[in-house]
Amino acid sequence: MACASHGSVVRGDSPAAYFQAQVSNSLDYIKLHKGHGARVVGIMCEYTPRELIMAAGGIPVCLCGGSGEMVEPAERVLPSNLCSLIKSTFGYSLEKSNPFLEMADLIVAETTCDGKKKMYELLGQQYPMHVLELPQKPDDPDAFAHWVRELMKLKIALEKRFSIVITDEKLRNAIRLMNRERKLKRGLAELMKCEVPPLTGRDLLDMKSLVACMPKDQLQYENALKTLPTRVQDTSAGQGVRVLLTGVPLPHGAERVMDIIEGHGGVVVCQENCSGIKPVLEDISEDAPDMIHAIAAKYFHLPCSVMTPNTKRMELLLQLSREYQAQCVIELVWRTCITYDVESACVKRLVEDEMNIPYLRIETDYAPSDSARIALRVQSLFETVSARGSSQESSLKGCCHD
Amino acid sequence: MFYAGVDAGSRTIKVVLIHDADRRVVASGLCAQGVRQAVLAEELFQSVLREARLQRNDIARVVATGYGRNALDWADTTVTEITCQAYGVRHQVPHVRMVIDIGGEDSKVIRLDQQGIVHDFAMNDRCAAGTGRFLEIVADRLEMKLQDLGQITRMAEHPAVISSMCVVFAETEIVGLLASEASPANIVAGVQNSIAKRILSMVGGKIEGPVVFAGGVALIPGMSLALEKELKCPVEIARDPQMTAAFGAALIAAGQKSKVNAGLDHCLLGVGK
Repeated sequence: MACASHGSVVRGDSPAAYFQAQVSNSLDYIKLHKGHGARVVGIMCEYTPRELIMAAGGIPVCLCGGSGEMVEPAERVLPSNLCSLIKSTFGYSLEKSNPFLEMADLIVAETTCDGKKKMYELLGQQYPMHVLELPQKPDDPDAFAHWVRELMKLKIALEKRFSIVITDEKLRNAIRLMNRERKLKRGLAELMKCEVPPLTGRDLLDMKSLVACMPKDQLQYENALKTLPTRVQDTSAGQGVRVLLTGVPLPHGAERVMDIIEGHGGVVVCQENCSGIKPVLEDISEDAPDMIHAIAAKYFHLPCSVMTPNTKRMELLLQLSREYQAQCVIELVWRTCITYDVESACVKRLVEDEMNIPYLRIETDYAPSDSARIALRVQSLFETVSARGSSQESSLKGCCHD
Repeated sequence: MFYAGVDAGSRTIKVVLIHDADRRVVASGLCAQGVRQAVLAEELFQSVLREARLQRNDIARVVATGYGRNALDWADTTVTEITCQAYGVRHQVPHVRMVIDIGGEDSKVIRLDQQGIVHDFAMNDRCAAGTGRFLEIVADRLEMKLQDLGQITRMAEHPAVISSMCVVFAETEIVGLLASEASPANIVAGVQNSIAKRILSMVGGKIEGPVVFAGGVALIPGMSLALEKELKCPVEIARDPQMTAAFGAALIAAGQKSKVNAGLDHCLLGVGK
């Protein structure tokens, strides 16, 4: 991978600038295509196979809520001790303020957690809804067979609802498109392996897509991949303590913890979560004999904390920490996200015993009231990283003198 | 040369001046926290200087810590209270492996590795149920002085069970206990046990000693005993426990002395050894 050598090359504008208008770009695109007969299909989770939706002539758009303002309206219906992501997503439906949701011809959801599952029942009273049952034992052959059947049922449901036929050719085409998008996003994420990354973690997070395979997005990704490796960094971006961020996703509007980390001397070099690198790591074979089976396999391999046991996530974390030379791991848990919360004990052990780097768990929600306390923890973590660094340096020096 | 540590805590501000030759404390002071944090801290700093018969120019470096640290723009740099507390206590007890710090509005458990570097830490979240503020509220309810709370626990025969995870609800529980004629001694002992239980849950897994207790709450008699009972291990009270974080900040200031633009990574080793 190419990294900028110091002081040699051109300075470019941040490619993240285009993505500041991500919501309106996506909205323009969807309005245009809906006008020409395309179907808008809302998705709530990375387990939902975008390829099937695209093969059905649908445009997959992410509906996960990241706005803290939507939590309060949601609490008129939902219990307060439910995760902010679920409440925010649902709050939008009550306020009718998510244009993507209001335009959706169908929502495809899945049983990734009990809170979401029951929220979908309420959402299904207002919007057309198809729920995929996600099995939760990744190593059980029966579980995978069940998942394949769930995708077959989704295929039939899409065909019936949209009065179309999903052919092998359409599926193959959708797989090609999504593979291309995943490859571009992987390429961008991998730029962060550089000693001085050309982006901040926040820049990279902003470059996620709301709508799958939007040509304008993909063009920006391609340009960024061409210009970024030669971009000279100003010292404020891309430098600092190298953080591997793991845990829950950071939907649009919920970037507060990322900003606290990078505002206090860190740079998030890798995001092992569903708004980061996790969903783009594996592609789908474009010439698989059974394409539904191949699609099912890719999605079923996602190491979400809902899976038990979730050993793949531990293996992935270990691999990413080495590839991205993480100096510490910060795990973000949305309050009351039970599966990530419980699994954090395994992650802590992995980080401390096998990676031998400091670990910090941040449990919070979309309300900003604990920002100062989070900042204290993050700063303290970075002080420990520095202290350990000097400790190793001086013991190395000691060896040399001997 | 002299160095200063300023700990702008949630309830009190502390200043410690040390001499760099032997890290000896030459003067220290404490005042209540208030709205004008930066001014209050500077006034305290000036009065400690006067007490030590020193001028501002005699102080080579000032490190600020505590939750108000960023408000003190006259300090040379800031370091978190977690790192400062660990350094202050480590200077007193060189092999310390765990620091329990219960302050005005938060409580922390800091674990140190064998090199004396912070290994990890846990803090209370969004509620003061395991902190000094809890004891202040109890003292107020029982019409007692904070410093007398410890004495009375000796008379406790059946410590009350205070289960609440929230200070406001715990206060309601206390009102209920008073109504059912529980003795103040039993109530205070119950509150101390409840704080100790909160600390135990922050400690999590195994405990390696020495365990040292710092922060203002360590001054209240009976608290360390309550901790020893819950943690099932000896708990040593730090010398001058309210001042250890400010002392640690001063030590870090002294460690940074010879470095231009000293980053923390240059200063943390060798301090206190």
